[in-house]
Amino acid sequence: MKEQLRNFIFQELIFVAEPDQFSNTDDLLEAGLDSMGLMRLIMFIEDEYGITLPDTEIEPENVQTFDALEQWILKYKQG
Amino acid sequence: MSKQPDMIEALNFADSFTLAMDDEIRRDGLAGSYGCFALELESIPDVIELQQRVAEFASRFPTSTAHLQQKGRRFYWVKRAQAPQLFFHHIAEEGHDSKAFQQQTIQQIINEKQERDQVTPIEFHLINQPNQSIFLMRWIHPFCDAGGANLILQYLYSDDDNQRKKLGKPAVKALVSTQLAKYSWWKKISLFFKAKRYIDTLDHLKSIQPFVKDQAPSTSVPNLHYTVKRLTTEQTTQVVKQARKHVGLTGTSLYYIGCLMRALDKLHPETQGDAYCTPYAFNLRKQRALTPVTGNHISALFAQVPRKIIQNREKLFTHLKQQNMDVIRQQLDYAFLPLMWAGSWLSLEEYGKILRLSHGKDGERSSFWFSDIGKLEIPNDHFIGANIKAVFHICQVSTPPALAFLSCIYKNQLTLSYNFIQPMISKNDIDKLHTLVLAELLSE
Repeated sequence: MKEQLRNFIFQELIFVAEPDQFSNTDDLLEAGLDSMGLMRLIMFIEDEYGITLPDTEIEPENVQTFDALEQWILKYKQG
Repeated sequence: MSKQPDMIEALNFADSFTLAMDDEIRRDGLAGSYGCFALELESIPDVIELQQRVAEFASRFPTSTAHLQQKGRRFYWVKRAQAPQLFFHHIAEEGHDSKAFQQQTIQQIINEKQERDQVTPIEFHLINQPNQSIFLMRWIHPFCDAGGANLILQYLYSDDDNQRKKLGKPAVKALVSTQLAKYSWWKKISLFFKAKRYIDTLDHLKSIQPFVKDQAPSTSVPNLHYTVKRLTTEQTTQVVKQARKHVGLTGTSLYYIGCLMRALDKLHPETQGDAYCTPYAFNLRKQRALTPVTGNHISALFAQVPRKIIQNREKLFTHLKQQNMDVIRQQLDYAFLPLMWAGSWLSLEEYGKILRLSHGKDGERSSFWFSDIGKLEIPNDHFIGANIKAVFHICQVSTPPALAFLSCIYKNQLTLSYNFIQPMISKNDIDKLHTLVLAELLSE
């Protein structure tokens, strides 16, 4: 899942010079993930994994890192 | 982008919404997103004075003579090298059938094709008949909406020079921009999804297209036509009474919507689809508080009624009222602001698909377009030396749905303007539809 998210984010939403050096705990928001990017990311996740993420949970804690994103998705994917 | 000297104003994101509509209408081979107000006058107004006021208006509001230009992804009103003509005087030739001349002239005005980057934002037409006339104002969305057009009309009919000077362009930013600026980054994103989910829910039901027939496409060029039906004061009183009984003081618009849906269902009961759906402006809030935020009458909010409910008047109006209350409670008009903002960065075609259409799924979401401008009051019922007899309005519409239903009350008479695209809908279809609408409106 992380690989898929990484591919989408680095190919479509933000540019980082060395994606391999970007860890799963590095800050995506600081790296340039903006409001438009976040909207596209959530739509991508919902389409890809067939889940609906609650609007009230769209918060920095859930999208700041790849680890946080995965946790958030799994909460609904498994539930 | 830095502002260049010829740029007058950037379109805000709600303007982009109406521009997406314009794009859609043009793709259907029609003239574009025109709206019109028409005053039927008992005589001919003071033409010199009218021309002067139009010129004064143009000099005070430079956008009225600008043209649209796309720079990057955004659209701007840009100054022209030469100001376009805004005032036109049409005079019937002697012996000409004046009623036919009037209808023909208006038909030409509302179907006049101009390239988007050359279209005149607003035009003023005086159509003379022996001893009477029609004053018609035609604008292109996004220059203004019906609410803005009403302000322009107020500007023109005000005989007091000082009063006219007070009617200036507001110094504050557009309401939509002010409201959006109140939200944090995160709030915007959560509202965006709230609106998106609302749209997705609507699209679970396939919209009924009452005038889409299984027939080979016509070779004739589509054109907008209109028919105006005016109720008597007695009939209007009865309609208002019924509206209050069924949907309450603030829900008159919902009453018209419900009656039209029932009439359409009776006219074409065989049409495929799950629900009737129509966009409406958010001017249904009590005391019209903070409205209309989304501005335009072809708004992002919808009244949607499943077919099985349509057949029961009581259930239908209860449903419409409840739906409207939910929209208010959930503040869906505000939720649309981030969606419209995000959409304004897309191409017009993509924007239209995301916000207004179910294209790519089941086609057009709207079974018809709707606008109710409510009760119009004009001081002394007077326009630059001529008494006003009646008022109606017109707007262009995409195909499908090929039908826009517009209403207003003036001098205690309800006026219904049916705007339809031929050849998809005929005048005969509209006459039959109106008979059914009238029966529904007057029904206990």
